[in-house]
Amino acid sequence: MGGLLIPLALPAVLVASWQALGEAFGGVRMPLPSRVVVEGVALFASGELPSAMLQSLGRVFSGFLIAAVLAIPLGILMGTVRVVERNLDPLVESFRPVAAIALLPMAILWLGTGTPAAVMLVAYAAFFPILVNTIAGAKSVDRNLVNAAATMGLAPRAILRNVILPGAVPQIAVGLRVGLGIAWTAIVAAELAVGAKSGGGGSGGIGQMMFVFYAYSIELSRIVVCMAAVGVVSLTLDWLVRRGTRRLLKWKAT
Amino acid sequence: MAPVVVYLRTMAVFALVWWAAALLTGNPMLLPDPLRVARAVVDVAVDGELLAHAAISVVRLTASLAIAAAVTVPLGLAMGTSRTLERVVDPIVEILRPISGIAWIPLALFIFGVGHGLPIFIMAYTAAFPLLLGTIAGAKNVDRRLVDAARVMGLDRAAIMRRVVIPAALPSLLVSLRLGVASGWTAVIAAELVGAPNGLGYAISWYREMLVTPKVIAFIAMVGVSGYLYDLALRRLNDWLTPWAVDTGARL
Repeated sequence: MGGLLIPLALPAVLVASWQALGEAFGGVRMPLPSRVVVEGVALFASGELPSAMLQSLGRVFSGFLIAAVLAIPLGILMGTVRVVERNLDPLVESFRPVAAIALLPMAILWLGTGTPAAVMLVAYAAFFPILVNTIAGAKSVDRNLVNAAATMGLAPRAILRNVILPGAVPQIAVGLRVGLGIAWTAIVAAELAVGAKSGGGGSGGIGQMMFVFYAYSIELSRIVVCMAAVGVVSLTLDWLVRRGTRRLLKWKAT
Repeated sequence: MAPVVVYLRTMAVFALVWWAAALLTGNPMLLPDPLRVARAVVDVAVDGELLAHAAISVVRLTASLAIAAAVTVPLGLAMGTSRTLERVVDPIVEILRPISGIAWIPLALFIFGVGHGLPIFIMAYTAAFPLLLGTIAGAKNVDRRLVDAARVMGLDRAAIMRRVVIPAALPSLLVSLRLGVASGWTAVIAAELVGAPNGLGYAISWYREMLVTPKVIAFIAMVGVSGYLYDLALRRLNDWLTPWAVDTGARL
């Protein structure tokens, strides 16, 4: 009992004082915990929130998949072949510090304000964490193991499959986890900014939904519902990646 | 071969590919060739626009880092040294942390309006979490024997904090500062894109609306350059402040 009391104390106090202060001083628009709950149930029941969320998640997964399919083979190549790394590294280091969201205007210019532009930004955002970690993972493989495999007559492709890939997997898993987290942040940013820049021309998704609540219908409680939804999704995604990759890493004592 | 030569060679090949793509596209509004972009960079650099917007974004970044550090470093040190405080505050941190700073933009836009307040708030919020967690981890990792030794030698709590805990926590704190900058820089650009009257993010979206693509690309490049230089400066600061720290090889 005492184990739960301390962790719950501060959140409970904060929510209670938010409610009390909001009721005392806030206007009709003030998002109160009670209003947030009511609006949350309404948004969920009407299907608006689930469908916006599914749209955003679909974009995240497509972009993430594109990023992984490009970044993992490239990272393995860069991590194992020195010449490739030396020559491509300048490019990687030049583009990595460019925040994905800064590319949004170009994405809109090239692909319009719909799903393809959002997917492109997500792919760009997730690409670099996956790439950098894959390179590091491939490099971290014990040279002695590679040499031993070569001595025992394994073909380069077999070495890649049986030695380098398994050795790099833990670090790749880290890259995927970081990449997915960044991808989710990027999609919210992209949808928000598209919403702001396209004058409400609906691109859909949770970010767009929040912008509509801000700019058109001014429903702050609903914005808070969306924020909570963003948080829940981000926790869920992280949990899923950790579970998914743990199965891949069973052989490795942590 | 010297790294500089390799760098230049790679970038030259990249510029050639870009040029070829621009020729194939045949529409300078969609994809201007490198020469046009270079001219645009010179244009905005000469009339001072480039530096002015970059300076505003960088100052905002620095201000919000200072705010975030002022709140989280004392809190993190306290949480790292007091188990009870950590148990009380940690749930709030864990509830807020998954909500990205970017998701705060609509609400913050309503509260702060368009101006300095919005990007600074978003950035400070984003940077606060890595900073707090890094400080807690740093304070926890302090060698207990050092703390005990200091206590035996008669130092009071404040002195132990200042002379033992803070120096020991500093390397971890500084690494988390770099993490905070990396995530916060993205947040600043996003916030400026949506609601600021100036700054790099604003310049990018302004020139997009004007359909001056070369300048859009010039400012996008500036986002990368400023972010890179800021990180470089922080790394130098790390080396200078904590020369004893082992390079963890942290790559962001």
